[in-house]
Amino acid sequence: MSAPVIHDPMTLPSDDNVNSYTFCVELKGSQWFLQKGKMIAYYGRIDFNGIGHGRFDRLLRTSFHSPLHASDWVVAEGSGKMLLADRAFDVNSYDLEDGNLTIRSGNLLAYQPSLALKQSIVPGFLTLIGTGKFVAASNGPVVFMEPPIRVDPQALVGWADCPSPCHHYDHGYMTGVMGGLRSLTGIGGTSGEEHQFEFVGAGTVLLQSTETLMAEQATGAVPHEPGVPGGGAPAPGHGHPGQQGAAPRLPGQLGDLQRRFGL
Amino acid sequence: MLAVDMSGDAVKAKNGSMVAYDGQMTFKKMSGGGEGLRGMVTRRLTGEQMTVMEVRGQGTCYFADRASEINLVSLHGDKLYVEASNLLCTDAGLRTGTTFTGLRGGATGNGLFTTTVEGMGQAAIMSDGPAVVLRVTPQYPLSVDPGAYIAHQGSLQQHFQAGVTFRTLMGEGGGEAFQIRFEGDGLVYVQPSERNTVGGDV
Repeated sequence: MSAPVIHDPMTLPSDDNVNSYTFCVELKGSQWFLQKGKMIAYYGRIDFNGIGHGRFDRLLRTSFHSPLHASDWVVAEGSGKMLLADRAFDVNSYDLEDGNLTIRSGNLLAYQPSLALKQSIVPGFLTLIGTGKFVAASNGPVVFMEPPIRVDPQALVGWADCPSPCHHYDHGYMTGVMGGLRSLTGIGGTSGEEHQFEFVGAGTVLLQSTETLMAEQATGAVPHEPGVPGGGAPAPGHGHPGQQGAAPRLPGQLGDLQRRFGL
Repeated sequence: MLAVDMSGDAVKAKNGSMVAYDGQMTFKKMSGGGEGLRGMVTRRLTGEQMTVMEVRGQGTCYFADRASEINLVSLHGDKLYVEASNLLCTDAGLRTGTTFTGLRGGATGNGLFTTTVEGMGQAAIMSDGPAVVLRVTPQYPLSVDPGAYIAHQGSLQQHFQAGVTFRTLMGEGGGEAFQIRFEGDGLVYVQPSERNTVGGDV
């Protein structure tokens, strides 16, 4: 085993990875949004403030659009170098240039305020719009794919430039009495891969190389209105009113993943 | 996984961490962290318990624990402070002991005491993900999240920093309310993951 590399404020990279699992952010009087508890160490003078802090009103108006999600985020500001990591998962930074990217909420660690964070219409996902850098974690390295592609729900990390995400079911699995029985009971054998997410159109799809999901962060509630996915208001003629959003979601809970994946 | 080549000498390792060996090895359990009667008493009192075995023999011995990363630390007469649960293996020539850490333990849930390793030789410490080694100099003090801290060496003073304000009580805390601030001269080992700490969610 080689001797460990010893880092000090001079040798730490600026806005780059220290190793696959640790990312270093350099602050020069600037600000970064980060998810609570992802900072592991810092040099210099950096303040961490909850987003409810009054001074951030203007910043929030331009860069943060998830009102009820705010308690999971903090603003780091000051000067120095800060190390970010998340449960020893792979960490990578991505640059957006006047683009947009939608990512699973638990995977996003931090982003520059030049990006705007919004809730995605797809529940459990967040969309970043604008120009800037953000840091995201994944279970294993991230693979970039071009649509058209069908992906396993558990391997999906996010997508950029708006391909159309939709569900895809294998036809034979879905049709007929026997198909229905199989899906209900599992008798007759299921491969576990009958359901995928399908992406078509121009863009990029981000996949992680395992099917282990990262714990999901609550993205905040959406207005209770008919027609808003996950909004909790039963749409007219909706089969099971009251099931959506019935239980208040706790932070870190997997939420309604199961239902979303049609399990 | 850690491979130790031995020729008649001995290492102290965490009990049950041996996964394989070739050659001739004997394993002997040492109570009280191999520190004799005094060690047994202090470790029982401080709750910084460590079950250690002495491995002696000829050949190569392999150690591992729960697939965690292993980091080698060379000691040249200085002192390494590490949590007993993160210490995998030391050269038999190194002295281990316990020391009071102050307030930090209260927030990390690791107890108020920590293990010290002293002398000349190598120690292997474990971390969840490869540890990042950060140098602390008088000009550059370092703040570390208690959940990510695993060990430090050198002459460092640690202060416990609590940024708890009324905002924290209102559920609008900065999420990083507790930090350990290291000042002085030395190295700090940080893991890219956070243990669940009492202070972690504040």
